Amino acid sequence: MIMVTRARILKHIFIMLLILILLIIAAASIGAAKISLKDTGLILASFIPGLNHFIDTSRLDPQDIVIISQIRLPRIFLSIFVGMALAAAGVIFQGLFRNPMADPFVIGVSAGAALGATIGLVFITGVGLLGISTTAVFALVGALGTTFLVYSIAKTRGKVSVVTLLLSGIALSAMLSAITYFIMIFKVNDIAKVIFWIMGGLTSASWNRFIIMAPLVTVLVVISGFFMRDLNIISLGDKRAVQLGVQTEKVKKIMLVMASFIAAVAVSVSGIIGFVGLITPHILRLIVGPDHKILYPTSAIAGGIVLLMSDTLARTILMPREIPVGIITSIIGVPFFLYLLVRSKKQIF
Amino acid sequence: MDKMDKKGNIISVKNLNFSYNHNQVLHNLSFDIGRGDFISILGPNGAGKSTLVNLASKVLENYRGRIEIDGKDIRKLGSRDVAKMVAVVPQYTNPGFNFTVSEMIMMGRHSYISRFGMEKEEDYSAVNLAMEKTETLSFANRKYSELSGGEKQRVIIAQALAQDSPILLLDEPTSHLDINFQIEFINIFLSLNRKEGKTIIGIFHDINLAIQNSQKMMLLKDGRIFNFGIPESIISRESIKRVFGSDVFVGKNPVTQKLYVSPIFTPDIYGGTPDIKPNKYLKVHVIGGGGAASPVVNLLNGRGYEVSCGVINTLDTDVDTAQMLGISYVTEAPFSPISLDSQNKNLEFIKSSDVVILPGVEFGYGNFPNLLSVKEAVRLNKKVIVIDEKCIRERDHTDGRAGKLYQKIIKSGAVVVKSVNQILLHL
Repeated sequence: MIMVTRARILKHIFIMLLILILLIIAAASIGAAKISLKDTGLILASFIPGLNHFIDTSRLDPQDIVIISQIRLPRIFLSIFVGMALAAAGVIFQGLFRNPMADPFVIGVSAGAALGATIGLVFITGVGLLGISTTAVFALVGALGTTFLVYSIAKTRGKVSVVTLLLSGIALSAMLSAITYFIMIFKVNDIAKVIFWIMGGLTSASWNRFIIMAPLVTVLVVISGFFMRDLNIISLGDKRAVQLGVQTEKVKKIMLVMASFIAAVAVSVSGIIGFVGLITPHILRLIVGPDHKILYPTSAIAGGIVLLMSDTLARTILMPREIPVGIITSIIGVPFFLYLLVRSKKQIF
Repeated sequence: MDKMDKKGNIISVKNLNFSYNHNQVLHNLSFDIGRGDFISILGPNGAGKSTLVNLASKVLENYRGRIEIDGKDIRKLGSRDVAKMVAVVPQYTNPGFNFTVSEMIMMGRHSYISRFGMEKEEDYSAVNLAMEKTETLSFANRKYSELSGGEKQRVIIAQALAQDSPILLLDEPTSHLDINFQIEFINIFLSLNRKEGKTIIGIFHDINLAIQNSQKMMLLKDGRIFNFGIPESIISRESIKRVFGSDVFVGKNPVTQKLYVSPIFTPDIYGGTPDIKPNKYLKVHVIGGGGAASPVVNLLNGRGYEVSCGVINTLDTDVDTAQMLGISYVTEAPFSPISLDSQNKNLEFIKSSDVVILPGVEFGYGNFPNLLSVKEAVRLNKKVIVIDEKCIRERDHTDGRAGKLYQKIIKSGAVVVKSVNQILLHL
C-alpha cells in the first residue's frame, strides 16, 4: 500500500525547502548592485545565530551587507510568505469548492481589497500606524468585509451553499469593481497609483511589513493544515463526509474564514498577484497527487518558490526598471502550466 | 431495562417525526432493530427510506422524537462517535479529486485518527482487512476513477468496512449493478452479518433480493410504517398493491422456499392495442390450452374485465397465468382428457359469461370437449369471438373433426378476429 505517510510528507517538504534556500541565496545575489554568490552566501550565513562566529565579515563590503539585509532580504522573505499564503489559500478554496477554477480571490477578496486600497490611496494621506501604510489597512478591511458579506449571503439555515457562495462572490466583486472605477473617474490624478497597486508588487517591502504579516500568515496557514484530512473527505460531497465522521459544516466554515483571511493578508501587503494561487496547487497536484495532507504543505512552499522567482525576475529583467510581479507570474507561469498540462495528459481534477 | 436493551436492540426509534421545507416526510415512526439482524426497508420513491438512513447517520438533524443507537441518544453523540457506530454504503461516491483506492478506503478511518496525529498501525490493518473482505487489495494503488463500476462499488463497501462499525446502512448499494454483482455484494453483506454479527439495514431496489436475505422487512408508505415483520407475514399481493400500487403475483421460490414477487405486466406488450375503454360489467370466459389463453387473459384482466378460463390441464402455462392473476378457472388432471365433470363446470362459467373467446388452441381428442362447449355457447346466444391467427387445419389433430366443428361455429355467427388485440374492438 502506497500511502501518504509522515515520512513521505517530510521528504517532499525537505526537498522543497532545500530548493527554496538555494533560491534565496541566488535571489539575494542578483540585482542592480553586483554581489557575488560567494559573498552573498557569506553575508547570509553571518546572520544565522551560532554560525556568525565562524565568518569573517571584515573582508566584505559593508554596503553589500546593507543592500542584502535591508533591501533584498525583506523583499525576498515577503515574496516567499505572500506566495505561500496565496498557494495555501488556493489549495483550500479548490478543495472546498471541488472546482479547478477556484483561486484565493474567488469569493471577492481581490475586489474588496482593491476598493479598500483605492479609498486609502485616494482619500487618505499620511502614514498609517506601526509602519503599515493606510493602503494596506484599508485593503485588509475591504477584503475581509467583502468575504464576510459574501459568506452571510450564502449562509442559509446554518449551512453554506458552495454555488451561492461562488455566485454571490462574483456578483459582489463586479459591484465593488464598478465602485472602484467610479472613484477613479473622479480622481483621475490618482489612476496610476491605483492601477499600480492593483497590478500587485512587492516594491515597498520592508522588515516592518514582514514582521507583522509573516507571523499572522504562518499561524493561519499552520492551523489550516490540521484540517487537510477533512478537506480530502469533503471532496466526496458534504453528505458522504458526514457519514464518514467529518463535522462538515463546521470544517467548511473554518476553512472559508481561514483561507479568506490568509488571502486578505497577502493581498493587503502585495496587491493583487494573480495565478500563483490558482496554478501552484495544480502543478503540485501533478507532482505529489491530490491528497491534501501532502498537497497543502508542498503547495505552500512551492507558492513561496514561485513568487520569489517571479519577483526576482520582475526586479531584474528590465533593470533598473521594475515590472509589476503580477505580469511576470502570468506571462511566465501560465505557459509553464499549460506545458505541464499538455505533457502529463493526466486528469488532474 | 437498560441491560435488556444492550442485549436486544441496537437501534431504537421512538415517535420519530421529520419535516423538510414544511413537508412532513416521516410520521411518528417507532421501531426497534435487534442486534445482528438483517433488515430491509421497502417502499416506493418518496416513502421516506433515504430520510431514515440520513437521520440514523446524522446527515439530517432537526427531527422530533428519539433515535437511540446502542442505548445512546444520537443527538448527544458527535459525528465521529456516530461514524464509529454506523457506516453507510451509498449507491455512488464521486470524489472531487483523483484519489487512489487505498486513499479512498483510509477515509473510512477518519473518526479514529486524531486531528493532530497521523494514521496508526491499527488504521492500516483495518484498511487491509477491509480490502481483503472486499477483494480490493489487487488494485489498492490504482486510481479510483479508473475502476469499473463493480470495482468502484467494492471500494465504497471497503470504505464503510474500514469504519469498523457494528451497524451497516445500505442505501441502495447494488441497484445500478448487473445481477452477478448484486449477488456478489449480497454475499459480502450476508457473510458480514452471519460471521461478524454486524447489524445490516438495507434499502434494496429489488424486492426479491430483500425477501431472500432479510430476517425482517419494513414496508414504508408516505412516511409511515405500513408493516414491519418477517417477510412471510408482511409480503402479500394486497400489501404490495397498497404500498406500491402495483399488481404482483406472490409465489414461493421452489428452490429456496422463500416468497417471491413478480410483477404482472398489463401494459401493451402485444403491440398497439386499440384504445377502448373497458365495459367493466362484461364477464368474459376464455377457452384455454397450451398457453394459448394466456395473452388474452392477461390483456383482458389488465383492462378490467372479469375473466375466467377453462378447461385447462394442471401444469399448463395457462394455469400459471390464471393463478398469477388470481382469476377463476376450471382444471383437469395433467395430460388427461377433459372429463364430463370438468366440461360441465366449464359450461357453468360459459352460461354466466357475456362473451366467450376461443384463442388459437391446438385441438386433440383430449380437449375436443372444449370446442363442443364453444358450440354450446353459440347455441346459448352468447357472443363468441374466435381468434383465427393460425389456420385451424394446422391445429387440428383429430383427423378433421375439430376443423368441421370450428367451421360450424364460425358459420353460426361467431365473430372472427385475426389477432389478440382485435378482440377489444368487439367487446
